Amino acid sequence: MLIQIAHFLAILSTGLFLTTFVFSFLFTKKDRNITRLISRIYSHGFLMLTSSFFIYIWLALNDNFSVLYIAQHSNSQLPSFYKITSIWSAHEGSMYLWIVFLCLWGFLYSSYSPNDNILKARTIGVISLIAVGFLSFLLLTSNPFETILPIAPMDGADINPVLQDPALAIHPPMLYLGYVGFVIAFANAISFLINGDKSIKWEESVRIWSISAWVFLTVGIALGSWWAYYELGWGGYWFWDPVENVALMPWLAATAFIHSLSVSSKSQLLRIWTILLSIIVFSLSLFGAFIVRSGIIDSVHSFANDPERGLYLLSFTGLLVFSSLILFSYRLPLLTSKKLITPFSKESFISINNIIFGTLIFSTMLGILYPLIYEYLYLKKISVGAPYYNAIFVPATILACIFLFFSIDSKWQRTYRIINAYTSILFSGIFSLAITISVMLYFVISDLWILVSLFTGLLIIIRYLFVIFEFLINKKYSNPYSIAAHIGLGLLIISISLNSQFSSERAINIKINGDDIYKDYRIKFDNLELIKMSNHDSVMASFIIDSPSGKTFVLNPEKRKYFTRGQITTETAIHATLLKDIYVTLGDQLDDGSWIVNIQFNYFIRWIWISALLMAISGSFLAFSLRGTSR
Amino acid sequence: MIKYSFLTLLLFSNFIMPESLYNFENAADEKRFYSLIKEIRCPKCTSGSLASSNAPVSIDIKNKIIELIKDGKSDKEIKEYIASRFGSSVLYNPGFNQDTYILWIAPFVILLIALSTYIFRRKV
Amino acid sequence: MITLLRFIIFVIPISLISFLYFFINDNDYYPGADFKVSDMPAFELNSLYENSVVNNFDLEGSYLINVWASWCITCRIEHGFLVQLNSQNIPIIGLNYKDERNDAIEWLGKYKDPYRIIIHDYSGSLALDLGVTGAPETFLIKNGKIIAHFSGEVNKRVWGDVFAPVIKKEKVVWNDQI
Repeated sequence: MLIQIAHFLAILSTGLFLTTFVFSFLFTKKDRNITRLISRIYSHGFLMLTSSFFIYIWLALNDNFSVLYIAQHSNSQLPSFYKITSIWSAHEGSMYLWIVFLCLWGFLYSSYSPNDNILKARTIGVISLIAVGFLSFLLLTSNPFETILPIAPMDGADINPVLQDPALAIHPPMLYLGYVGFVIAFANAISFLINGDKSIKWEESVRIWSISAWVFLTVGIALGSWWAYYELGWGGYWFWDPVENVALMPWLAATAFIHSLSVSSKSQLLRIWTILLSIIVFSLSLFGAFIVRSGIIDSVHSFANDPERGLYLLSFTGLLVFSSLILFSYRLPLLTSKKLITPFSKESFISINNIIFGTLIFSTMLGILYPLIYEYLYLKKISVGAPYYNAIFVPATILACIFLFFSIDSKWQRTYRIINAYTSILFSGIFSLAITISVMLYFVISDLWILVSLFTGLLIIIRYLFVIFEFLINKKYSNPYSIAAHIGLGLLIISISLNSQFSSERAINIKINGDDIYKDYRIKFDNLELIKMSNHDSVMASFIIDSPSGKTFVLNPEKRKYFTRGQITTETAIHATLLKDIYVTLGDQLDDGSWIVNIQFNYFIRWIWISALLMAISGSFLAFSLRGTSR
Repeated sequence: MIKYSFLTLLLFSNFIMPESLYNFENAADEKRFYSLIKEIRCPKCTSGSLASSNAPVSIDIKNKIIELIKDGKSDKEIKEYIASRFGSSVLYNPGFNQDTYILWIAPFVILLIALSTYIFRRKV
Repeated sequence: MITLLRFIIFVIPISLISFLYFFINDNDYYPGADFKVSDMPAFELNSLYENSVVNNFDLEGSYLINVWASWCITCRIEHGFLVQLNSQNIPIIGLNYKDERNDAIEWLGKYKDPYRIIIHDYSGSLALDLGVTGAPETFLIKNGKIIAHFSGEVNKRVWGDVFAPVIKKEKVVWNDQI
């Protein structure tokens, strides 16, 4: 009964959103009353949708297995937290969550942006139209409200035990919030283009929404990477898997967009880039949804191998992308600026940044699609993996960072006289070089790219330290959020390079009560226990590890066998310090009773998470500081 | 101890295999091995490298790689060996040949064109 | 300049999306089938029954190699069709993959033996050279060259879709002497 109500509410909300859209384009006179009306209809649609969703959560929490999706993905034995997160563990439910979040952003926008914004009504209209499109997709092809009646199953199927993990459970919501958050920028850009008045300044009002969405994207991607690191068992944190790439592309576009936005909000420059990027970010988010769900790419993430759904999503994405690009190209004259970009101004650096990021997005897309194209044309399979992406990303990122280095302290619309920052630049260069060379000599590093990356990261950090220094001493103002976020970037580059250079691993053979030595660490196999939990059996090993500096700690890797699906998983045991992670996994048992144990030393991995966190926190503070200025 | 071994045998009986241990003659070989298994795809898995896979065929290939390293084969020869048996799609590096040069060159070409356009027109 | 930009803006997304559209609808690609031609690898292993040695020189002309094991469930399903092929005088060489000798012999005793020769590949070395990733897999060899390879259960439909066209095109004549 409740599920039918939820279903009905979802249909009702679709109708209300459709009405919102129609009204927003019907009324040509834009005054605040019309805008208020449209906001209100939209809010009602949103209310219906969220009520529907809350009912759905309630049904999942209360083990209502007459709902097909809940029966397929949840189970009465699951802890409550995972009953809720099971809702987005597969296609229908995660699509539902996606739509709720999309409408949530729309709702926040309609509530908090001022009503005398001429574009507001149409923006809400565009958001509603997109919501209608996705809701129809949901209700017609991927209905989460389907029931198993008259006889509901006694209990649900268990969800994949790998999914019962806190980080993995929060990763999709974070990512989705990021993906769909850019609908506001997109819808705003579209309304601006439709409206056709080049004097309207829409950019500033969109900043807070875009930066918040960017923060969520950053956190979502970092969470996914962190989870993969501690769960999948082989110590890597980024695999250039198609699904990761498909999340990376919107992030690259979003980062470029935010920078371009700050230029366009101050002047008429870079408007073409800014609008184009707002279309690209959102299109890539939709494209990501398509690739993951259509089954076209074999990946650990593929939700469905359903060509019908793939076709529908592809058509929808295609329609959206085409119409926005047609509109964009029609209005191109509106966006061109007679002014030239002053050489060595901040705008010039951001323009170059846009170009580099655009190239990276293009390359990633090419890398994802090339195997498909190749297979289609030549009927042969190839793989495009890490070697390709590293070959493109490493040089491009270093190039971008060099430009970043020189762009620090550049001015808006004035040529930047490097002479003025001569001291800082020179000394940053000297210090970075000195540190890099010392590291190279002391550790005998011969990998050129790692040294160059290290140097570049140091350049950025030290240069910003000078900026902070100048602020403290000379009271020279600089944007603190920008400083923190870019220091985070420098840190990230250094961490990734050092991690790549110093990390090592070994598979050792060890008997119970035996011990072995790896890199001056003594590892004693202390104990092996059999543990019975509610939904799995576990073999837990106990290792006592003595470090060369005298510290001792215990690590407990496991091998688990889950009952419902007979799945066997390995749980890693990690001893984390800032310098390195000691990472142990239990391998297989040999005929003679000894076990194969995999030990890894992963250097500076914590710094990778810290950098991502730093960037996310800076972004959040920046967004927070913008509240009340969204006009 | 015997009890535990028996229990684990029972639980994970599909896991006990005559797997040889990864014994290397020197540290360089060991490093090469761990780097190689990250660069070769597991032919049986939906995605993932040999390093991340415990499938029987992955284990076989890993053992073979160790053998080949001991035989003095170069990284290139080892990769060719595996690719000739399991298909070129097990190499994450698509290689630079007449079918794939577009893949590698396109990004640089685009970057070059875009940057030069910008420098000469200073608009956009 | 603007026209060029407009042109680029259209061409790339249109071609992209049309390509994906065609790709989804494409039916040519047959999952599991591989028609890359390669040499039959050299090997020397024991046979399953007599403990005599089999090597590639014993195998000439055209024949099938079927990778199977007693622990492989799909092999049991495929088995009936193999018996049928054998009764049509099509020579099948069995490659017993990572299997205990006794288990394999027992399995054949239960389910009938469709193989002319059975190679006991306990360590999987020949399988590795063939590029085998699991069981069952079937290879078609003609004059020392592998001309077709299928991963998965071979049944009437697969035989008709994958092997029969190759047999016809390459004018395969089966080796009776094996």
